[in-house]
Amino acid sequence: MRKYLIRRLLQIIPVLFIITFVVFVLVYKAGDPVALMLPEDASESDRAAMREALGLNEPFLVQYFSFVGDLVKGDFGTSFRSNQEALPLVLERLPATLELAAASMIVAIILAIPLGIYSARKQNTLTDLFITGGSVLGKAMPNFWLGIILILLFAVNVQMFPVSGRGSLMHLVLPAITLGTGIAAEMTRLIRSSMLEIFNQDYIRTAKSKGVSNSVLVYKHAFRNSLIPVVTIMGLQISHLVSGALITETVFAWPGVGQLLIQAVNGRDMAVVQAAVFVIALLVIIVNLLTDLAYRLLDPRIHYS
Amino acid sequence: MSEPLLEVKSLSTHFFTEDGIVPSVRNVSFTVNKGEIVAIVGESGCGKSVTSLSILQLVSKPGRIVGGEILFNGMDLTKMTEREIRKIRGNKISMIFQEPLTSLNPVFTVGNQITETIRLHQAVDKEQAKKLAIELLKTVGMPNPKKQYSSFPHQLSGGMRQRVMIAMALSCNPELLIADEPTTALDVTIQVQVLNLLRKAQRKFDTSVILITHDLGVVAEMADRVIVMYGGEIVEQNDVYNLFKEPKHPYTKGLLNSTPKIHQLEDSLESIEGNVPTPENMPAGCKFNTRCPFAMQKCIENNPDLERKGDGSYIRCWLYEDSEQEKAEAVVSL
Repeated sequence: MRKYLIRRLLQIIPVLFIITFVVFVLVYKAGDPVALMLPEDASESDRAAMREALGLNEPFLVQYFSFVGDLVKGDFGTSFRSNQEALPLVLERLPATLELAAASMIVAIILAIPLGIYSARKQNTLTDLFITGGSVLGKAMPNFWLGIILILLFAVNVQMFPVSGRGSLMHLVLPAITLGTGIAAEMTRLIRSSMLEIFNQDYIRTAKSKGVSNSVLVYKHAFRNSLIPVVTIMGLQISHLVSGALITETVFAWPGVGQLLIQAVNGRDMAVVQAAVFVIALLVIIVNLLTDLAYRLLDPRIHYS
Repeated sequence: MSEPLLEVKSLSTHFFTEDGIVPSVRNVSFTVNKGEIVAIVGESGCGKSVTSLSILQLVSKPGRIVGGEILFNGMDLTKMTEREIRKIRGNKISMIFQEPLTSLNPVFTVGNQITETIRLHQAVDKEQAKKLAIELLKTVGMPNPKKQYSSFPHQLSGGMRQRVMIAMALSCNPELLIADEPTTALDVTIQVQVLNLLRKAQRKFDTSVILITHDLGVVAEMADRVIVMYGGEIVEQNDVYNLFKEPKHPYTKGLLNSTPKIHQLEDSLESIEGNVPTPENMPAGCKFNTRCPFAMQKCIENNPDLERKGDGSYIRCWLYEDSEQEKAEAVVSL
């Protein structure tokens, strides 16, 4: 177990290096940040001086290695735009993103577990058809569209919730539903199919032959077994949660890492893009690791070596 | 000994599939007396497992009991509500299944699964249930029962798992134990141990047993009476001694001939020609007519009834059709 953990943690390092390299190449190729930083009528010599000051005139590899050199010291550089250190800028936004992600997961779980179990128990009935159909719809609706529709309905027409921003619990409701719906849809389908498979297992028949009641059968004997594949897929889905968060944060002006990242990409703010992607990637990796560890709690057959 | 515990009367269980109705069990009747071991034998798909699942109302969709009665101590199990039958399951009638690995829930400990049955049917607290479970594990010959109480099924060997299943099945001193191919998935040496254990338990608690198997060796070893099934019907029934000594139905003869015997040196084993017909290809008349070496025109036209003979055996075959006079004699001798 300990060996396993150490190995998994060491694997994070090369993954992060590859990610930073890819992001570096993309931003390098994306265009000249100086063109955006200086006024349109700035002279060519001003631009050259600016590039020189920022180290942007160096060859690609020189720029990359100087970036990596700083990176291992934990220095992501300074934002071109705000002149602040990039990493603290990102970390300051992190709680907002985590809050949104957690709230969306809660929305997803509250919806998906009862719906998934119910539709499995009522397989091939009208209710099942509604739930399955609804989950296809939930999966198909893009976040930006659902977000805007929710704002129009529940913030503009009926003024139940604030249009955008972060603050009270009321601010959290619409973004969490926007981001949670797609995940709930995916989860519902997974729980349904997983439960249906489990219902056919021999040990369910054994439990029935013991005289177990239906609810114990479903919630004790079937549900926990059905969670094993669900957790696997949800662990892999965590990157969808993050990419969904980027869009949702932008729609609701939610001051999280996603919103910051999109602003930084638009402004070709290399240091902030790097820091934000780095933090997000690390987050995804850690969540995946936690998912793998969660199996052990669900399934005693799994051993880490 | 002769008091009936279970009377199955004209049981029919059909499966309503998209391709049509599959009559897995048709018009099956038999009795199990107190303390008796009755074996049901037949090839895969002959309806023996469905018969056993029907008794506890465990046939899953799209299967359904479409006719007949199952009287247990005089109460009809087919007429019971879900709540009533749950009180019988695991308590008065319990089951052991073929594959002990998949029949135990992988995410709960052995102890948890045994105490669950105990606490469902007996008014005991957690501590007492645990004590009883460890005692049961000891009874079924589990080495180090205290430790194995907290094991998960995957940590045990096949034989140990089947012992756990048996411990679970015996936990409420059932009056009837239905063992569906209890040794098929086990090594030969373990099979003997499990059979011995079953018999020991059966004697100790005077439990009646329905033993579902295709292994005639197991039948000879264990059973008092044998029911042979083919194509969802009973084709022969007799006490174990007479069935082995003098099998009547061509199918029973075929089954016995396809078992190797040590005294007769033969180059190859005899087998029954052909395959079990699939439900949709089940022939008219006698279900065995496609494979029977004695098939006559009559066999293709009409299905014989299961008739009781003077010696107490039952047989469904035109070859043994009684003359009217013999029938009358048989009635008189009852």
